[in-house]
Amino acid sequence: MRNLLRKEMKLSASILSYLFIPLGFMFLLPGYPILLGTFFISQGLFQSFQSAREANDIVFSALLPIAKRDVVKAKYIFVCLIQICGTILMIISTLLRMTVFSEVLAYRNNALMNANFFAVGMALIVFAWFNLIFVRGFFKTAYKFGLPYVTFIIVSFLTILIAEVLHHIPGLERLNAFGTDALGLQLSLFAAGLLIYLVITVGSCLSACRHFEKLDL
Amino acid sequence: MIVEVHDLCKSYPSFHLQHVSFGLERGRITGFIGRNGAGKTTTIKAMLNLIEADSGDVSYFDLPLKGNESAIKKRIGYSTGTLSWYPRKKIKTIVDIVKRFYDTWSEESYRKYMNLFSIDESKTPLELSEGMKVKVNLMLALSHQAEVLILDEPTSGLDPFSRNELLNVFTELKKEGIAVFFSTHIISDIEKCADDIVYISNGKIIVATSKADFIDRYSEDGESLEDTMLRMEGGAFHA
Repeated sequence: MRNLLRKEMKLSASILSYLFIPLGFMFLLPGYPILLGTFFISQGLFQSFQSAREANDIVFSALLPIAKRDVVKAKYIFVCLIQICGTILMIISTLLRMTVFSEVLAYRNNALMNANFFAVGMALIVFAWFNLIFVRGFFKTAYKFGLPYVTFIIVSFLTILIAEVLHHIPGLERLNAFGTDALGLQLSLFAAGLLIYLVITVGSCLSACRHFEKLDL
Repeated sequence: MIVEVHDLCKSYPSFHLQHVSFGLERGRITGFIGRNGAGKTTTIKAMLNLIEADSGDVSYFDLPLKGNESAIKKRIGYSTGTLSWYPRKKIKTIVDIVKRFYDTWSEESYRKYMNLFSIDESKTPLELSEGMKVKVNLMLALSHQAEVLILDEPTSGLDPFSRNELLNVFTELKKEGIAVFFSTHIISDIEKCADDIVYISNGKIIVATSKADFIDRYSEDGESLEDTMLRMEGGAFHA
């Protein structure tokens, strides 16, 4: 798998997948829908699928001395690595806003969603949609990605919208906690987001593997 | 037999590959001949597990492909005609990735075939002619000491000089004990270098035998191999 991952990173990936990782720092932007960072990181990953398709990467990989399903697993691992890198930057940004910048007015007067661990959990859910809708959708044919990507855009924007709206609903204000307020709740929601991400990613990967085994390339 | 294809069937809405069976032997060149759309590429894709056959099986070195895919693919090489991998990456970069998948990779063989085929590893596939692309695929296969070469239309699109050169390479490889299996719709390719013929038409194997036996059984007096095949394809076998 290490060799396949090296192939993903050196041959298949678009440079944009790497260049868009720092957009995880969008969690530092005040007055901005911070979860859009996840969408831009996903956009970078989409570019890798596009360049891989142009380079006949899937057939090339399937001809290597590996099991056919490993082609799918390697793509998922690459996608997850990029998503984890982006998430780490989001967590760093969140920690900065929770501590050093906790009293900064621009953040305190922010009408939009605050960067806290609930936001990071929601970011992981957006990434989970990418893996389920786009990556799994791509491997249904191993070349068509238009519909899966448009579907992902719609679902991810709806998710971001819901996340932005929730804390305005009476009784849910604590979702927008500042600093270390409601830390227990924040961390619980982050854990829930992480769990959803893991279950959806592993489940969609296994499903894509099964489908790809039977796919005619 | 080093490779055995047994009773392969695959159905598409407008095409059926029907009960395809044949074998390949070490140190022999087998020409897989048939007109466009006869089922050559479908058969080759099934042999490489790129498509899932409806029934039948393929085995290499007495091991079924299913369940031994990784181990078998380490011992075979392939070229899929005009397909071009990573058109804007340097050959050197592609080779550096590919060689890590093979424990049998020989840097010495790599240099040897790179020089023999006059390949410039600093070029990208986009800068190569069709013939050179086939040679790059061959170089990759031979550098990991492939014992079987499966080549889909390697001579298509080549000028007569490059084609001749490539067929001479096959003859040299056969002397090293490598089984060469190549599909073509150019009968003179078979005439020039094949030891065995597998002839496919409309998804069915018409005959799989040695070239000498084929000529003996099917050619009429004074008829060239090309004339025989054109006559056979013309209807005698579908009457």
